[in-house]
Amino acid sequence: MLAGVVPELAPYQDEPKQLPSGGLGKDAFLRLGFERRGEKTALIDLYRRAPLLVQQALYFDEEMPNLACVPIITTSGGVLQGDRYAIEIELTPGCQAHITTQAATKIHEMDANYAAQTQEIVLHEGSYLEYLPQPLIPHRHSRFVSRTRLSIATSATLLYSEILMPGRKHYGAGERFAFDLFSSTVFAVRPDGAALFAEKFIIEPHQADLRQVGVMDSFDVFGNVVLLSPKEHSESVLAQVEPVIDLASGLAAAACRLPGDAGVVYKVLGMESHAVRAKVREFWSFVRREVVGAELPKEFLWA
Amino acid sequence: MRTTDLLHLLQFGDSAFPVGAFSFSNGLESGVQHGAVHDLSTLEQFVRTAIHQAATVDGIALLVAHRSAGQSDLDAVVAADRALIQRKLNEEMRIMTTRMGRKLAELAVHMLDAKDSGANPTLLGQWLDQIRSGVTPGTYPVGLALVFAALRLDGRHAFAAHQYGVAAMMLGAALRLMRVSYLDTQAVLLEVNGTAEQAYQRIAGASLDQMAGFAPLSDILAASHRHAHVRMFMN
Repeated sequence: MLAGVVPELAPYQDEPKQLPSGGLGKDAFLRLGFERRGEKTALIDLYRRAPLLVQQALYFDEEMPNLACVPIITTSGGVLQGDRYAIEIELTPGCQAHITTQAATKIHEMDANYAAQTQEIVLHEGSYLEYLPQPLIPHRHSRFVSRTRLSIATSATLLYSEILMPGRKHYGAGERFAFDLFSSTVFAVRPDGAALFAEKFIIEPHQADLRQVGVMDSFDVFGNVVLLSPKEHSESVLAQVEPVIDLASGLAAAACRLPGDAGVVYKVLGMESHAVRAKVREFWSFVRREVVGAELPKEFLWA
Repeated sequence: MRTTDLLHLLQFGDSAFPVGAFSFSNGLESGVQHGAVHDLSTLEQFVRTAIHQAATVDGIALLVAHRSAGQSDLDAVVAADRALIQRKLNEEMRIMTTRMGRKLAELAVHMLDAKDSGANPTLLGQWLDQIRSGVTPGTYPVGLALVFAALRLDGRHAFAAHQYGVAAMMLGAALRLMRVSYLDTQAVLLEVNGTAEQAYQRIAGASLDQMAGFAPLSDILAASHRHAHVRMFMN
């Protein structure tokens, strides 16, 4: 799927001893198509293939009772070598949805091949999507490549976040940045195909020192948040973000304007996931208040 | 390399070439203000991070633009220019690259038109027209590629001049921002220039969609710069 166009995967083309890569049980597919039904947003077009699973939209957000909330479940307990995931999300005009994952995504240790994920997210006029998955945890020698295409109408809003853990930080002697490859591309276009912005990370801890000043420095957890929204909304959100850079306490975060008036990018570095998630949640609260006029629901006790 | 070609490389690669590089610190000012850069070792690391990003993002656009210039393909040059600006997620970095790019194009068109140097500035002039009419952003690496192509200098030389320019700009700014001497900064410059060949080999054949980097702390420092109360540099 991605192997032909991603040169950083060249060293990882060997086949695993278990099920063949991308074969049955390893080629997950999700299609989540949302439509308005009166005031509510409904998950109308649902297609799923293991090991990814979505059952139905839930309406548990008391601040936005018509918001379709969808947790993505994995039936295999994490991302394994040879896995190929494809996720398609489409919001028709005026839909409002919140998509997350059941738990942190564990990218398991690998000794053959790699895991890959493609995401295609399409937002039509006036729609609103919060896509806030739980953190990714890349284990030792894991190789993961992700490519996400965002197509967004000018009046729609998308809040998209990725939180990357260094690994199983407190496992054994500590597993920080022991993975082989983490490659993530996010790019956004208008419905006519006009490009807005693109960002590609290639992180290969065995090739380059991530502790270098300017890269991860002494930080362990990285959060990357993209807000695509009409200019008046993104400017208002940007004005509310106070940058913080505190190397001693281990927290740094700041936002800036994306090219082409596409919106705002907000980056957070911290030592533990809860501190980074708290900053992402704060940013999320600015977005929801500005764009929808609603507050965030209380955090689950187990979150 | 002919002696005159060598002099062209020196002139357009000179950190004092008047494209306004002295107004920018490429994120160093913010790095110093927040204590991420506080001595020679952290300065060297920060510069290494920046030139690595410059190679794997700007350097790819530069080489693609240089190859396209060799085929007189203005559309492909514009595509490289746009692809690069779309990957500059920080607005002050966008201001830096487009100010320097446009200035370089204006200067070079003026210089190369004015004399019979054997240079062919036609494509450079067309690109400048496209900048003025808002068709293309006018990034500095693409400008450098077109100038070097006009002078019939290799893409490798344009890449080298760009890498040198990034490090020289930051180390020049360091003299004004930190307690370091020019002896120190010149030693760092010599040291980091040693990485250029390997960096070039890694990206020499790369296409635009392979532009990639990873420098989250630099990104955060750059993004917080616009909030600074006292600023000596524009980024």
